[in-house]
Amino acid sequence: MLVVPATIFVAIGLIGPIAILFRYSLNQFIPGQFMVDGLTIENYVKFFTDAFYLNVLWRTVRVAVVCTIVCLIMGFPLAYVLARTESRFKNLLIMLVVLPLFVGNAVRAAGWMTAFGSKGALNASLMGLGVIDQPLEIMFTETAVIIGIIAVNLPFMVLTLQSVIEGINRNVEEAAFSLGAGPAAMFRRVLWPLAMPGILAGTILTFILAMNAYATPVLLGGPKFQTMGPLVYGQFAQQNNWPFGGAISFILMTATLLLTIAANLIVQRRYR
Amino acid sequence: MARLSIEHLRKVYGEFTAVDDCSIDIAEGEFLVLLGPSGCGKTTTLRMVAGFIQPTAGKITIGERDVTNLPPWKRNCGLVFQSYALFPHMTVAENVAFGLEMRKVAPADRAARVAEALRLVQLTGFDERYPRQLSGGQQQRVALARALAMEPDVLLLDEPLSNLDAKLRLEVRVQIRDLQRKLGLTTIMVTHDQEEALTMADRLVVMEKGKVRQIGTQRELYEKPADRFVAGFIGRSAFLDGAMAQAGHFRSGGGLDIRCNAPASGPATLALRPERLAIGAEAESCANRFPARVEHVSYLGALLDIDVRLTEQDRILLQLPNRQGAAEPKPGDMITIGWAEDAGLVYPREP
Repeated sequence: MLVVPATIFVAIGLIGPIAILFRYSLNQFIPGQFMVDGLTIENYVKFFTDAFYLNVLWRTVRVAVVCTIVCLIMGFPLAYVLARTESRFKNLLIMLVVLPLFVGNAVRAAGWMTAFGSKGALNASLMGLGVIDQPLEIMFTETAVIIGIIAVNLPFMVLTLQSVIEGINRNVEEAAFSLGAGPAAMFRRVLWPLAMPGILAGTILTFILAMNAYATPVLLGGPKFQTMGPLVYGQFAQQNNWPFGGAISFILMTATLLLTIAANLIVQRRYR
Repeated sequence: MARLSIEHLRKVYGEFTAVDDCSIDIAEGEFLVLLGPSGCGKTTTLRMVAGFIQPTAGKITIGERDVTNLPPWKRNCGLVFQSYALFPHMTVAENVAFGLEMRKVAPADRAARVAEALRLVQLTGFDERYPRQLSGGQQQRVALARALAMEPDVLLLDEPLSNLDAKLRLEVRVQIRDLQRKLGLTTIMVTHDQEEALTMADRLVVMEKGKVRQIGTQRELYEKPADRFVAGFIGRSAFLDGAMAQAGHFRSGGGLDIRCNAPASGPATLALRPERLAIGAEAESCANRFPARVEHVSYLGALLDIDVRLTEQDRILLQLPNRQGAAEPKPGDMITIGWAEDAGLVYPREP
């Protein structure tokens, strides 16, 4: 009985709009007439036959994959330390990890803008120290977007991994050491496979967030750096092309799902 | 198998000294038990031997090898944990083979050694099971097989039976002891369970507050406890506070003059084992004889525990065998109790 309200909410709030969106994506768009009822796949054909749109999709996937991998590599050691520390400041440390989430996405991206700009804090410091002569071009590049998204997603990765690592008995690691496994072998044979549920959950979470990022690519990537999120918004809000916007949404959703499922299957085959 | 020697081992955490100048020599094939109340430093000592804790000072030698600064994976210590610590994502066979794999034993030889280790713990045929499919006792036997398979120089057992229920505990206890004897393994076990310690050990180390209080066999610890703590910790003792007024005479707090074999000294405590005390007619021939008032009687089946009061300050616990039909003392009865001159052990008074 208690799950009924949530179930109804999910059904109405999630599946409803998606169904409507899917229906829209099959409509026709005729400039001047907004949306014409129809049953056509021309919007999908348009996306997959235009190199520009394919490029945007490819760029989005690339950015998301890079962000996810970097988050995992940077997040694992941090999560491990947080999970294993016996310091009385443990809760404080966890708060520090969560703290960035208190600041909205857009505000944070705006902060990065002032830091990365050609007269921003980073370039000013480096030039002041004489490390570089010319300001580094970070703003409005893929690098800026990747850094921005990693900063947003890292806490999700760390918290997910930390809770799973905390569930792994410390004695199991010690048993591996006593059986002659060095740190690398222990990590590969014991810690990594046992942390796999957390690694999966964390990577899926960060990957989906990165695929669908909006504020960060818009603010740090600039008008020329298109990813799927802003592209969808553009079609709806600026071009008024709802059918094509709907189609792009569906392609984004399907790509995210397929890549997630594929990664899941590969991992599960290797680690049961 | 190797002789293990711990010399002047110390571990200090900030202000707190967990282990203080601990020296223990363990002979080849010996089963040594570290026994003490929680927080006495026994587990810290074991973990220093295993290599998980770096000692502040001191030296640990296994055979001729100084292992003090070696990491755990280079020490060749077989470890069995209270929590079993099996690898949950590996089968029983994979668990047992892990140590062999890490030592680069050829896969063909591994299978034979895994089978042999599982046979030793009577788990032949469980190879393909996962730890979650086994009972607690079986899991602990797998953990034992895993430690034995790699032929360790020393076997370290960290409260291995504490997670098992009473019946299994007895079973696994006997099994560990038999295997240890058969394989001649030098073994250290940590436990807070006195009965476990007494039944399994060749020698025991009693620790308290980071210090070794006494090392000896069960008989030595019980009959010649080195100090008041050991006298109270191993088995039961009745204690009377007082002073050694002159050689051979202990004067209790209640003013009793008790004959004992000790030189004159200052404030002291007299310890008496309950079974050395006699009552009624049996007390007639004793050097020390006092009238006593029965305060409380506890029926324990084979034994009766009797609290008696000699004077206002001097109370003693008696243990009498429960003889069917014999007259049982009742609260309020006046009885005579007595003990031999050599029954009382005298220790300097501890605060």
